[in-house]
Amino acid sequence: MMPGIPLQERGEKAAAAAASAPRRGRGGAVSIALSGVSKRFDDIVALEPVDLTIKGGSFLAIVGPSGCGKSTLLRIIAGLIAPSSGALTLPGHAVGAFVFQEAALLPWRNVQANAELVMELENIPKAERVKRARHALAQVGLEGFERRYPHQLSGGMKMRLSLARAMALRPDFLLLDEPLAAVDELTRDQLQDELLALCRSSGVTAVLVTHNVYEAVYLADQVVVMSARPGRVIDRFDVPFGDDRAPELRSSPEFVSLAAAVSASLRKGRVDD
Amino acid sequence: MTDRLAFRRTALNIAAPLFVAVAFVGLWYVLSVTVYADKAFLLPGPVAVIKAMHRDFGTILAATLVTFKEAFSGYAAATLLGISAAALMSQSRLLERSFYPYAVLMQTVPVVAVAPLIVLWFGYGETSVIIVSAIISLFPIINNTLLGLQSASSSLVELFAMHKAGRLTAFRKLRLPGAVPNIIAGLRISAGLSVVGAIVGEFLIGSGNSRGGLGVQIIFAQGRMDTPLLFAEVIFATFLGFGFFIAVSLVGRLLIGHWHESAR
Ligand SMILES: Nc1ncnc2c1ncn2[C@@H]1O[C@H](COP(=O)(O)OP(=O)(O)O)[C@@H](O)[C@H]1O
Ligand SMILES: [Mg+2]
Repeated sequence: MMPGIPLQERGEKAAAAAASAPRRGRGGAVSIALSGVSKRFDDIVALEPVDLTIKGGSFLAIVGPSGCGKSTLLRIIAGLIAPSSGALTLPGHAVGAFVFQEAALLPWRNVQANAELVMELENIPKAERVKRARHALAQVGLEGFERRYPHQLSGGMKMRLSLARAMALRPDFLLLDEPLAAVDELTRDQLQDELLALCRSSGVTAVLVTHNVYEAVYLADQVVVMSARPGRVIDRFDVPFGDDRAPELRSSPEFVSLAAAVSASLRKGRVDD
Repeated sequence: MTDRLAFRRTALNIAAPLFVAVAFVGLWYVLSVTVYADKAFLLPGPVAVIKAMHRDFGTILAATLVTFKEAFSGYAAATLLGISAAALMSQSRLLERSFYPYAVLMQTVPVVAVAPLIVLWFGYGETSVIIVSAIISLFPIINNTLLGLQSASSSLVELFAMHKAGRLTAFRKLRLPGAVPNIIAGLRISAGLSVVGAIVGEFLIGSGNSRGGLGVQIIFAQGRMDTPLLFAEVIFATFLGFGFFIAVSLVGRLLIGHWHESAR
């Protein structure tokens, strides 16, 4: 059992930030800042000190080789583990949601009940849960599948359900750990568009970890490249494509050249190892 | 899946074992009228066994009921104890490390050897038989339940932690429901074992009831060299265990059939 690690690392700064960064729905979006955040597990350095600022409502993508500490970084932001050094600045009341690569559904619950799970854990009243889950399921195209069980869903549908479960909570920030790595390419393109739409319409602040450079550039406002273990940030790219992105963007010269630049940086990080 | 396919599968599920049964009884019959024709006390034919069943039906049924009661009580005790023990062990590494070895010892302890001690403590009678049945049924339940409770996926454990779910919530909403297939697997193994335990217990201890259960009756039949009756009682004992197993399987299917492969 995972001990419930208190979110103390969100620190005093967090309390101050709380006053100035009101929660989404009551106005502004939540921004996240990491300064000098590092993590070691006993003698393994999982993450070298990292500085990052994720503007409220923006989308950050992190790419990097396996084992460079991407999941560790997300867990630190989620408050699941404490950093070994540095500070995470996040409004104290900010609500986060996590989406894992394996959809992490409860196989004994039907789609509707799965979509309600995290709201249930957060003690949101039943009537409200039902309503929000319905809405979120409709948003990801799972309307009419409420009574199905996870084993009756395709990989893409499971991931949609996982997204709906997260979004139904109306989170201030959304952490995505390689959520589309296990779905087929066609479904992946489609899910990217849906994810983009969900993030834009909700104004959530999103952090995505991915192996896929094209996915990073297509979705993010900012792409961060990490080096092989021990992970550190070696490059940052601003993605200038704005809020309205259509599938055609993928074949535009600007998109292709930016993706190539990110790929080159990623290769450089691997060679360093 | 089409209805015809499902029908053919069901038909096969029934026809194949039925064929084996018919072949077995046929072989038994042939042996009983050839090799064992002059030694019916060693291997009575199927007809003799059915006659014995008919003749002593009242006695056999009463004995079966006694054994059923003992096995059921032992099984219920083992279920309650086993699931509770596993639940406690799943909540604490220390508890698990401290007690699991003894759960294993419970299984390796020769029940035959401790039976005299059980009799010393609980007397000749039903209670002691129930305890033997419970001891024999306990380990598969503890072991499978513990395995199930510990098998929650790490992503889900993290999801629960992230949304500040306490131990109890994680247990109720994640670990326990996820362990149900394993619990049922353990209960299925123990269903048959509890009947074995009750009969072994009766062999060793006797039975509180004046006429005894199947174990006691089997010893009687052996003493009287009434082999057909002995066969008849063994058959009843077997079907008692089998009925237990089927009943537990059906309950399992009701509980998890809608989501778990093993129960479909
Ligand atoms: N709980 C842990 N205990 C020990 N080492 C860990 C733990 N979690 C991660 N690590 C190690 O930290 C490094 C980074 O892991 P991770 O963040 O999962 O990488 P990524 O997600 O980039 O593949 C890896 O070498 C991994 O083995
Ligand atoms: Mg990872």
